[in-house]
Amino acid sequence: MDEPNASLGGHDGPDPDRRGVLIGLTATYLFSYVPSAIAQPADAGARDAFMAVAQILTGRPSLDADQASRLYEALIADAPGFAADVQALRSFMDQRKIDPIQLQSTLDAEQSPLAAMPRNIVKAWYTGIVGEAERARCVTFETSLMHVAVADRLNPPSYCYGSYGSWMDQPA
Amino acid sequence: MSHELSADIVVIGSGICGSLVAERLARTGASVLILEAGPRVTRNQLVLYYRNAPRKGDWMAPYPPSRWAPHPTYEADWGSATDQDKPNVARQGSNEKGNGYLVQAGPTPYPAEYIRVVGGTTWHWAAHMWRLLPNDFRIKTLYGVGKDWPVTYDELDPYYQEGEERTGVSGAPNTGSPRTKPFPMEPVAEPWAMRRFRERLEPGGYPVVANTTARNSRAYDGRPPCCGANNCQPICPVDAQYHGGLAAASAEAAGARLLANAVVYRIEHDPAGRIAAVHYFDPDRTSHRVTGKSFVLAANGIESPKLLLMSVSDKYPTGIANGSGMVGRNLMDHPSSSLTFDAEDELWLGRGPQSPASINTFRDGPFRSEYAAFRLDFTNISQVRSAAEDLITAGVYGPEFEKQLRYRAAHQCNVKNVPEVLPHPDNRVVLSDQKDELGLPKPQVHFALGDYLHRCMEVAKREYTRIAELMGGTNLRFTPEREYANNQHIMGTVSMGDDPKDSVVDGFGRAHDHENLFIAGTGIMPTGATVNPTLTALALAFRTADQIAKT
Repeated sequence: MDEPNASLGGHDGPDPDRRGVLIGLTATYLFSYVPSAIAQPADAGARDAFMAVAQILTGRPSLDADQASRLYEALIADAPGFAADVQALRSFMDQRKIDPIQLQSTLDAEQSPLAAMPRNIVKAWYTGIVGEAERARCVTFETSLMHVAVADRLNPPSYCYGSYGSWMDQPA
Repeated sequence: MSHELSADIVVIGSGICGSLVAERLARTGASVLILEAGPRVTRNQLVLYYRNAPRKGDWMAPYPPSRWAPHPTYEADWGSATDQDKPNVARQGSNEKGNGYLVQAGPTPYPAEYIRVVGGTTWHWAAHMWRLLPNDFRIKTLYGVGKDWPVTYDELDPYYQEGEERTGVSGAPNTGSPRTKPFPMEPVAEPWAMRRFRERLEPGGYPVVANTTARNSRAYDGRPPCCGANNCQPICPVDAQYHGGLAAASAEAAGARLLANAVVYRIEHDPAGRIAAVHYFDPDRTSHRVTGKSFVLAANGIESPKLLLMSVSDKYPTGIANGSGMVGRNLMDHPSSSLTFDAEDELWLGRGPQSPASINTFRDGPFRSEYAAFRLDFTNISQVRSAAEDLITAGVYGPEFEKQLRYRAAHQCNVKNVPEVLPHPDNRVVLSDQKDELGLPKPQVHFALGDYLHRCMEVAKREYTRIAELMGGTNLRFTPEREYANNQHIMGTVSMGDDPKDSVVDGFGRAHDHENLFIAGTGIMPTGATVNPTLTALALAFRTADQIAKT
């Protein structure tokens, strides 16, 4: 079934080839990288805040800068107020020094307008998904932190575990 | 009206049953034309779609419906992974959860999923290819419930074997279905997690057995053995499991002609009641007529009855093949309850295939006169994504997130049941008054589940609890009472039987009312039993193909 017509073809017969798909994908990647390459100075504070907040919320002091850029761009695209909100969240967390495990309940209890922020940020880093419902977009997959966190035991689904039968052994 | 096509045999639907019937008949020298409503897809495209889809837990996400041949969706519309596909993908409104294609009349929701593409729904499946038990064919006689089949297990045995050899089935002999020849392949290597279930449950009286699947345990028919990618649903990345796309390709290789994007909307008969032609729309709604000597309807358990009901005439005012009034009735599926818990052992589900093992103990017995038989099924689907999403929902952040993620990914597991639902004429597919983009009626389902099933669920819950105990389980989470997950095994709607007053086709799949119309697929199964129905549908389809070849 490795036919060349890798599209949801409109008509039977020769369909546009896989190159079109690859071009489309490449364009998507380029689009997501360009803004970070020409980042506006006005953005710098928000980007710093995003990284600082993400390090605390994910419990990972070291996060990939390119991945951060891609997630940040997607979050901005999903919610234009994100840049201001993430800086406000950083200030809140700096001032209150709240243990991350208490953060959500604190924001909820105070009915903070920032209450949705930590979930969106952690979801982006761990699952690679930004946005809800029809606005949801998959920004990363293989490097999403949920896969990185278990990489010594499991591969992301759709990537072969190993040679035939390698899964019979006790995970170690 | 554009050009007319003609063939000895016209097959409607290119899923496993339609395509393999087409292949078999093409090899006899007959001219065969397959009409498929949906577009062509490729494995590479579907893997790409999966990896780009924003809902990794929604196995329909990589299969966006086409504008001209929609299939039901129940989630928000995320569009398309590629710009190239965008013009062909049917869009739904903002904030709509699903495209509303399968209209729900209730009282119980029946959110059936199927895929209208070349190759059909088995692009996306667990590849279970079970035989029924001999007693499954006689539950009316033995237990006083349901219906007896017009076919016996022994009559079907050679066709079961043919289906297993054609699609490459691996399995264990101890599942209760007798065999006259061995499986083509040994069972697929047992994942560590399933070994721990087997070792801990066996002393408690639960034999855990490898599932019977069209999944390679060695290179077979030019395809590789399983590599443990744990993505059988929504798409195996290496074709280690069989699917309808392979079946369609082999039909074409055997000489059958396959027309994609050909949406059949009417079956035409001659004055004597023989089928003369079918009519299809292309995506631009241009109509085409196709004549033939014999016709095989294999468009799945919802689309097949829909097409028969749409094909009304003065002679057949309730539709083609519907003299009994049974077209669309007796809709069945396998609704599952389940228990999720944390096992004592580190199991790390997600290594190897997704659905490797079952308990077959409850598939038959005198209790079937009182409540539904069932199979117990263990998942081996990676728990990483669902655990991560649960932790995000719970607002767990910081180092605790990863600690809990690893614990849950290692220990969380699930057992579900696959119970038999009895045929009931009020559970049915009808034509709704809503139309799709081509102006064709959307199907509407009426569905209710009775006490025969609910009593089974109470029994299953006790078994789940005992299994969790034997596994040292904690944090037991049962699915809510009377809320069941559907298994997309659409059966019964064009049921076979000996009595033309009470069934649509005979034991050979031939319509009682039209001597040159045959129906293939899970829709012709009179009862549902406790296993995934594809192999039984395929065996029946091969028996039908034999009958067509003789005429």
